[in-house]
Amino acid sequence: MKLRSSGREAEKIEPQMAPMIDVVFQLLIFFMLTLNIVEPEGDFNVNMPITDSTEASDEPVLKTDIKVRLVANEDGSLNTIRVGQLNLGNGPNVFAGLNHEILKIIGRPGSPITKDMEVELESDYNLHYEYTLKAVSACTGRLDPSGKHIIRYIEKIKFAPPVGGPNAGS
Amino acid sequence: MKIKTKKPAVADVDMTPMIDIVFQLIAFFMVITNFEQIQADERVKLPSDSLAKPPVVKAADELVLNIGFDRNAEGEITDPQAYIFYNGEQIPVLKFGPKFEQEARIYKQKNQDPKDVPVILRADALVKTGLVQDLIKLAQENGFTKFAFKATQKIE
Repeated sequence: MKLRSSGREAEKIEPQMAPMIDVVFQLLIFFMLTLNIVEPEGDFNVNMPITDSTEASDEPVLKTDIKVRLVANEDGSLNTIRVGQLNLGNGPNVFAGLNHEILKIIGRPGSPITKDMEVELESDYNLHYEYTLKAVSACTGRLDPSGKHIIRYIEKIKFAPPVGGPNAGS
Repeated sequence: MKIKTKKPAVADVDMTPMIDIVFQLIAFFMVITNFEQIQADERVKLPSDSLAKPPVVKAADELVLNIGFDRNAEGEITDPQAYIFYNGEQIPVLKFGPKFEQEARIYKQKNQDPKDVPVILRADALVKTGLVQDLIKLAQENGFTKFAFKATQKIE
């Protein structure tokens, strides 16, 4: 009787590489995407038409401006925020406070007076840009509770010339 | 004798590799478009804010400026001077005036008014506010009036 040859070479099973590589690539790309290397970016639009400072001072002040003053420490961190005469300090909730103050001034979001209102930001020259941006954000509005839509407060933001800095004297 | 009945030769299309490849392509283009969208410079560490929303309407033409510092591999600032990373060059912020002039001239040649071209400022969180304002002033002197501040979207 002929025995079926169970040769040793027959036991060798060739692993199929092609599907494995396919799946590995899929996983690799999936994790690359979920890593979010490029964070989503958004922007704040500010219109800054060229104006003569002399012309501006001659104009009678008709619209109500909110003046926000950002004071910096020596190292560029935030020292305090002042809205008009009110001092908001520099605690962790200072920008929420600023947001609240703006809301108090405009009454309710979207009210007609917000169209004519402007926020003037006056910051120290050496203040880090992140604080200025946060102040801009606090003045423009807040997120609604669902976190999807922005409730607009004041759209118009302008910048006063920086306080201090290398050109202070000139 | 048994005769093998010939079945009609329906070519069975193997879908698995096709789907594999299609997924690869989709994922590849997703990654590519993500990178293409923004002319970002990895040296700029943008501030983050929850109100920063991607623009609904994207302007056809925009001037993106990356303002940041020289950083080493650990991300520490090696030079306190802030630079604009522009076309592979590194230009101190206050010396950017001539470049604005050049950009404005290019837009005018394309029959575009610089005042309609938004200047997108991607400034590092640690750049001095005054410096950013100086840069805006330089841009205004060359006719640019629209500005946008970039921030990363903070997800809470």
